[in-house]
Formats: sequence, C-alpha cells, structure tokens
Amino acid sequence: MTTERNRTGRHAGPGRAPRTEIVVDGDSVRAVDGISLAAVLVGERRWSLRRNPVGGDPRGPFCGMGVCFECEVTVDGRPGVRACITKIYAGMQVETAAGGEVPHDR
Amino acid sequence: MSTRTADAVIVGAGVLGASVASHLARSGHRVLVLERGAPGREGSGTTAGNLHMQAVHTRRPGQKVPLDSARFLPLQRAASDRWETLEEELETSVEVRRTGGFTVAETEEQCQELRDKHEWEAAAGIHTEILDGDAARAALPLLGPTVAAATWCDLDGYANPLKVTPAYLDSAARHGGRTVAFAPVRRITRNGGGWRVVAGRGAAEQVVDTPVVVDVAGPWLGEIAALAGITLRMTPVAIQMHATVRSSATMSHLVQHIGEGLSVKQVAAGNLLIGGGWPALRMDLAGRSATSLDSLVGNVALAVRVLPFIRDLRLLRMWAGPLAATPDEMPVIGEVPGAPGFYVAGGTYAFSFAPLWGETLRCLIEGKPPPVDVSDLGPGRLMERRSQEDGRIQEDNGPEQENHQDRRSKRC
Amino acid sequence: MTAERGTAVYGEVVERDVVIVGGGPAGLSAAARLASAGLAVTILDEQPELGGQYYRRPAPAVARHWGDHRPEGGRLIAQVRAAGVECRTGHLVWGVDDDGRTLLASDAAEHPVRLRARRLVLATGAFERVFPFPGWQLPGVTTPGFAQHLAASDHTTVGDRVVLAGSGPFLLPVACSLIELGVNVAGIAEAGRPYRPSLRALGTLGHPARLRELASYAARLARARVPIWQETVVLRADGRDRVSSVTLAAAARPTRPVRTVGVDALCVGYGFRPQTDLARMLGCEVRIDAASGDAVPVTDAAGRASRADVYVVGEAAGIGGVHAARARGLAAAYDILARETRVTVPVSEARRVVSARRRLARFTALTDSLYPDPAALLATLAPALPADTMVCRCEAVRAEEIRTTATGSADGDLNATKAWTRAGMGPCQGRECGFAVAGLVRSVASDQGAGESRVEVFPSRLPVRPVPLTTLLELAGPESQEGDA
Repeated sequence: MTTERNRTGRHAGPGRAPRTEIVVDGDSVRAVDGISLAAVLVGERRWSLRRNPVGGDPRGPFCGMGVCFECEVTVDGRPGVRACITKIYAGMQVETAAGGEVPHDR
Repeated sequence: MSTRTADAVIVGAGVLGASVASHLARSGHRVLVLERGAPGREGSGTTAGNLHMQAVHTRRPGQKVPLDSARFLPLQRAASDRWETLEEELETSVEVRRTGGFTVAETEEQCQELRDKHEWEAAAGIHTEILDGDAARAALPLLGPTVAAATWCDLDGYANPLKVTPAYLDSAARHGGRTVAFAPVRRITRNGGGWRVVAGRGAAEQVVDTPVVVDVAGPWLGEIAALAGITLRMTPVAIQMHATVRSSATMSHLVQHIGEGLSVKQVAAGNLLIGGGWPALRMDLAGRSATSLDSLVGNVALAVRVLPFIRDLRLLRMWAGPLAATPDEMPVIGEVPGAPGFYVAGGTYAFSFAPLWGETLRCLIEGKPPPVDVSDLGPGRLMERRSQEDGRIQEDNGPEQENHQDRRSKRC
Repeated sequence: MTAERGTAVYGEVVERDVVIVGGGPAGLSAAARLASAGLAVTILDEQPELGGQYYRRPAPAVARHWGDHRPEGGRLIAQVRAAGVECRTGHLVWGVDDDGRTLLASDAAEHPVRLRARRLVLATGAFERVFPFPGWQLPGVTTPGFAQHLAASDHTTVGDRVVLAGSGPFLLPVACSLIELGVNVAGIAEAGRPYRPSLRALGTLGHPARLRELASYAARLARARVPIWQETVVLRADGRDRVSSVTLAAAARPTRPVRTVGVDALCVGYGFRPQTDLARMLGCEVRIDAASGDAVPVTDAAGRASRADVYVVGEAAGIGGVHAARARGLAAAYDILARETRVTVPVSEARRVVSARRRLARFTALTDSLYPDPAALLATLAPALPADTMVCRCEAVRAEEIRTTATGSADGDLNATKAWTRAGMGPCQGRECGFAVAGLVRSVASDQGAGESRVEVFPSRLPVRPVPLTTLLELAGPESQEGDA
C-alpha cells in the first residue's frame, strides 16, 4: 500500500517538496526527501517502533536526539539504528517491531 | 559515641562477610558487619558471579603462579554442594543457574591440559566429560570452528552477585545481625582477651568490643589486618568485565577457556557477560578502578573467536573491580597465628566459595571441626618473617608452604 | 595473548592541533575561530549534519519549501567549512583510550576512528531533563525537543492535538512551532509560576532583548488562545498502545487530579542537563550544582577544565542558552590561540566576548529565577511518584523497587541502588531516569539521615553509547575480523 496521508509538509508552501520512497514493514511510504526517519514514521503516525525487552510493551521515539534508544529500528538489515538521527534515502528498507514478537536489543 | 559489644565484628560487607554474618547470626551469635562503603559494591559487586566447579585452570592474563588444582578441586566440590541448597537456606532467589559449562581448548597443548584436568576432577569426585571439537559443537552449536576440544561439567553455573550479598545480609538481619554501611574501620586494638574495633567518624563513630574479628575485607584484607598489627602479604589486583546489550536467550551454559582468559555466559536479563580476568587499567582502592581498552579489545576478540555469534552484539558497559589475590593464588582462611580471635578469609574465587567459607569460619570460631580441612590454607603462610618485640606475631607454617610447592611441582 | 601485550590497539591515530567534540553553537564557534587562525581543527558530531540541537539543519527540501528557521546556524556552519575545519559528522565519540587522551570514535559505517589533539574542546551539549509519571513510556509521549525538531527540521507534526508540560522557557517556542504547523496545542502545563500577572506583561517589563523574545512567544500563544496552566504538573498519561489522554495535577499537590485532556501526543520536559560523560571520562573535575543536582565540569573563564589540555564549552559546561554557548566557544578559542599560536586576538574582539558572557550570565540567572529549581521540583515530585511508575524505561524498574532498595540494603547509595535494581543499566545508560532515580534515593535516604559522601549522579563509563563489537574487533587487528558470521 502506498500512503499519501502524510503529516509531513501538510502546509506546503510554494510548490511541492520533492518526495522520496522508502519501505516500512513492507509498505511503500513517500516522504519529503532527506528528513529524519523518525519524522517519516511519526508523520505516518507509526509510533510503536519496538517493544521493551522486559515487559514487551510498545515503545516509540522519545528524546529525538539519540539518547534514549527507544526509536531503534532495522534499516537495510542493520538492527539498532536510531531513527531520530538517521536521514531517509530512496529505497531505504525499514523494519520496526511494531506488531511482532518481543525482540531484544542487538 | 558509645561503646557496644558484639560476639563477632565482621569487617567488610562483601559476599564473604555477608555469608559469615548469616552463618554466625543463624547460629545465635550477635554479629556486627562494618562496611567502608555500600555493601557488596566492590569485588562482590563487580565479579562475574561464575560458579565454576570444573578445575579453574585458566590463568588470569598477567597471573604469575598457576592455581594448585589438585588441592583446589576437593574444596571446589564442597563449595559446589552448598550452592545447591543456598536459595532454600536464604529464603529467596539469587538467580542460581546450574545449567552446566564448557571449558574449551584450541591448541594441541591445551587439549592435553584438558585431559590432565579431567583426571584431577575425577579424583576429586567432580564429573566432567571430554568432547572433541565436533562433539562440543554438537552439544553447543554456538561454539566456533577453532574449538578443538572441550570438557563439560554439569555442576557449572552462575548466580547473580548483585543478589547473593544482599540476600545473605537480609538473612543475617532476620537473625539479629546488624550491618553498618559507610563506616570504614579505623582502629583495631587488643582489649583484654578480645579486640576493640573503631569505625566511622563523628556522630556515626562505632566503638565495639568483641572477642572475634573476621577480616573479610577483600582487596583491603591486608590493610585491615595491618590495623591490628598483622602483616599479610596480599597481592590485590583489579580485573574488568564487559556486558553486551540484552540478547534473546541463546546460551544457557557457562563457557570458559583452558589456556586463555575467557568466561562468557548469558545472565537472566539477557545480557552476555564477557570476562576472564583481564587486567583493569588501574586499580583504585579509594575510588573506582579504571577499565582498559587493551583488555576490552583482547577479551572481546577472544570471546568472538570462541563464540562467533557474539560478533553481532553491542557492548553496553564495562567495569573494573578489585580482587583479593594471594601470592600463591590459593585461598586464605583461618585464625591468625599469635592473634587469637582474629580470623581472615579471602583470595580469588571468593564468590564460588562464599557459602563454604561462611560455614567454615563459623565452625572455626565455634571451635568445631570445619566441613573441609583448611589447616594448610591459614594466614600464617602469608606473614612476614619479622621479630615482633612482644613476640605475638611471627611467621610459622613453613612446612605448609612447602607442601604447596611440592604438589605444584608434581603437577607441572 | 599476554598481559604484557602493552601494544596499543590496532589502527591509525588521527593527529590534529585541536579536536572539538560536538558541532552545536559552541563547538562551531570555537572551530571557525581556531581554523581561521590556521590551526588544524577537526570537529566531530554524532548527528548526520552539523548544527547540534539548536542549529539542527532542516532537510534541504524542507528549507527550500518552508524556509530555514535558524539561518544563522547555516551561516556559522558555512564559515566553519570555509575555514577548512575537518568535519566528521556521523561520528560517535564513545570513549577514551588507555593513554587518557586519545578519543575513541566510530564513523557512520561504525568503523573505529582514534583521534589525538594537543587541545580537546568538549562541546557535547545537553539533553532534556525528564521526570517520569505513570504512562510516560507510552508511544506518543516525547520530549518537547523532539516535537521541535520534527516541526523545524522535518516540517512534521508530532500530533494533531498536543499538550506540552514540564517547566522552563523552552516550552513556549515549541508551542509556537506547533501552532505554525496547524497543530491544536490544547495547553501548556508549567510546574512553576513564571508568568505573572499575565503572559503579555512579560514584554512590558523592560527586560533585556533576549527576554523580549520570550515575551513575543507568549504573545503569539495568547493570540492563539493557548491556555497556560501554571503550577501544574502531569499526574499521568493514559492510552492503550499510544497516549490518548493526559491528567494534570497541581504542582503543590501532585497526587490529586485537576484536569484530563484528550491528546494524541504529549511532550514533557524540565529544561536541559549538561552532557558531561566525556569530560568525566577524561578525568575533568566536576561539581554538583545545588540548584539542578547536575554534575557540572569545573572550568575557568575560558572554559579550561581541571585538565590543562581540555576545554568544556557550551551547554556541557552548564545550561546558558545559545548565545552563552557561542560566547563560551569563542572564549575557549581565544585561550587556545594565545597558547598555541603567535596570532594575537585583537583586544576589542576578546573584550566583546567577555562582556557578552557577563551579560548573558545575568540573563541566564534572570530567566532561571523565573522558573523553579530542578532540585526543588525533584524534592516535591519524587516522594509523590506513584509506586508502580516505571522509572527506568529501559529496564522497566518501578518507583517502589527503587525506594525499597534505597531504604534497605543499598543504604541510601545511588550506585548500589542502580546495581541492585538495574535502574539505569539499559541502553540509555541512565540518562533518562538518572535525575529521577537520584531524587528517589535522596528522598528516602534523607529520611534516615544518610552520610555525607554519597554519589549524586551515575558515574560515566565507557562506552558513552553502546558500541558494536565489530567496531572493537577492528581495533583488535585484521585477523580478529575474519569469521563466519
């Protein structure tokens, strides 16, 4: 599915900002080129990115500056990537632990 | 300031001090534990918590004298038994895991050492099994291709050191024992037939008269003994530990190396703990010992060679802690010759031995036969030869020291 | 392998005149001035772009279409690049080598990099001070800083209906940024009572220009009819897999609910804490600041720490805002130039910085005095924290467990409490919960009259952030990297 229901650039100024396409948990997602991955996910209102290894409860981005490690996702097969300090690029493959089993830190 | 009395003053609220406090308190003695900082925060808070019951053959990197395994193993066997019943005894979980362990070898020389070790273990009644490389990998597929052989011992395991010490102290407290933290011992003097111990400062000062002082101060063991005029040759060192982030449960066994400094296990929380006695950068008995990058890198490289899956994990933290080592690497336990009522206990592997040494000290203090013969492990062998004016303290036990050397030379 | 290896770890060491850690306002200011005088300067930052948190750069596409919220940041970065500073972004500095001075870093691909310099400038900035409440771990609860970054750099809204809470002047610009993007800011809960008698009054008091900026935010919020609930704190957040409402309480009675607001995002922060791990790891002396409870490096006026070759500047040296950070960065640069080169800094230039620093210090003191001291807030909030509040988010440790341990076997010791509860042992290494855990320990320890020499902050430990073991294996040499993984 491709979503355009994007909270990024809702109040578009002159012209339309160039978009790029990434894949999140198998879904194709279009977002403004070069913004942070955390922004794309939050803009899509995909808040649950991982599960706490102790209790299994869902967690999402918290600090937005690389301190809390709550926004860790897997990018192009590399686990433990902090979405808040990572910029998107075309074709980026992102996996979150939104629905699945309780993952562990890697 | 007020003077109080106790049946025994225990100096050091590490795992040994907590164990002996619990044993004595449960036996009806009024015990007081004096601790310079927070309980269980030095060697006992920084140890890996391994319960290695197969021979500890590995030398710490930098260790000069090998352990006398033939003498050590029967003690280890006795220590092992006590961990079986510990949680029941303490009425709480201390995360004891007896899931067995492997000691691996990579070279032909190390394989021969495994076979020697296996024989001593058999003699001491510790069952181990020798596996070749493929059998070892079949038993633990996580082992890497360089593993040429391994021994398996189902007694091996670990416990959470951060739980054991508090559990012992709680048990002592339930039986009337008291622990005073942040009360460094400043003076120990003879007082009639017993001892007077002064700890802490100002309003928090403690003055205690007691017939029995138990010096279980870990790396400070020598310093505390010196307060009582006793000179013991101790060689404390600081070693470091490394923890990875949590990982999904993949390894339930303890893995050690026979020729190099390595111990790896996965703790209850899921973190992999990587150690093996690699030296810290600096031992700091006044503050926190500093960790070394060299040791980190060396230890991790070795761990990844033996257990390649670790490569994909991340280092979460590392820490260093002091270790009360003796020059001959053997434990020290017993009453100080010429200083009646002054007992010491310590040395490497104090964690595994804590339950046994607690019971042993109680027996020695009560004048009962101890569960194991420790007559050759007394502090006399560590005492300086010097002429004391009052003649109270002098070295003896020369023959015991020779006994050790004898046994070791036979083995080597 | 023997203990006598003594050989340094494998790999090259980058040697520079000055290495600056942190590419925010302070680090950039120092870098530009030092490099323009001809020194070989490297600047390192963990983020993918220079700018730090305050000058965080918008994505180019965002800047083109919606503008650059802080163009002065862009100009400063351009100056730094033009001056020939080697800019290593995406570089995490995670430790210090055994010699006590070589920095251990890893690049964006997580390869190790070691750097050595005659002078180190630590401009490691700050992170937000947070305090837990039931439900703070729910997705949709964030720091105000995150909401600000989303809005300003990524032109993205944190939610459609948002409550901001906590304390300090920072909540106001964040609220304004959200309003600009069309977000319904349902209200701002401020723990103190800084705004009296009304928001608009701030601008009329004849305060310095910087305070007028605050007043202009306040005026915009008043126009947008955003309520500011003063002396109000968050009691709890509720929601299933995501925050759906926040319940507020009076700061004086933080256990009694006064208002529940439906939200899809909640942003809570109590200002900022200096990030001092690296300074402490390098052995720089720190003091505990009584008003905040934070560890602050001890420095002279030029930012020189107790170690002569280390300077700590910007927010890492104590929270003071962007202008103070830039002035501190420059002051360190002048001191280094005086020691390293024959370049004489014009007296007038140096004097400007000194007087700016003084003026800014007065302004900081003035702003700080409007808001409650973090340490005082902590003393009220910590005892009221409900027993089942998850205080350590990483290790899921609850308030009750921390209190019981601190009162019991840990005997009022912060580090023993950490060791025995695991609070502070997760991947954030206690940065999110440290303030609260210290407050909880203190609140129960003071009951039993704990002794004098207790540690008040978690110690700094290598690595500063979790480091892949593959990075370490590269340091062990080429033969250690072979493997079947």
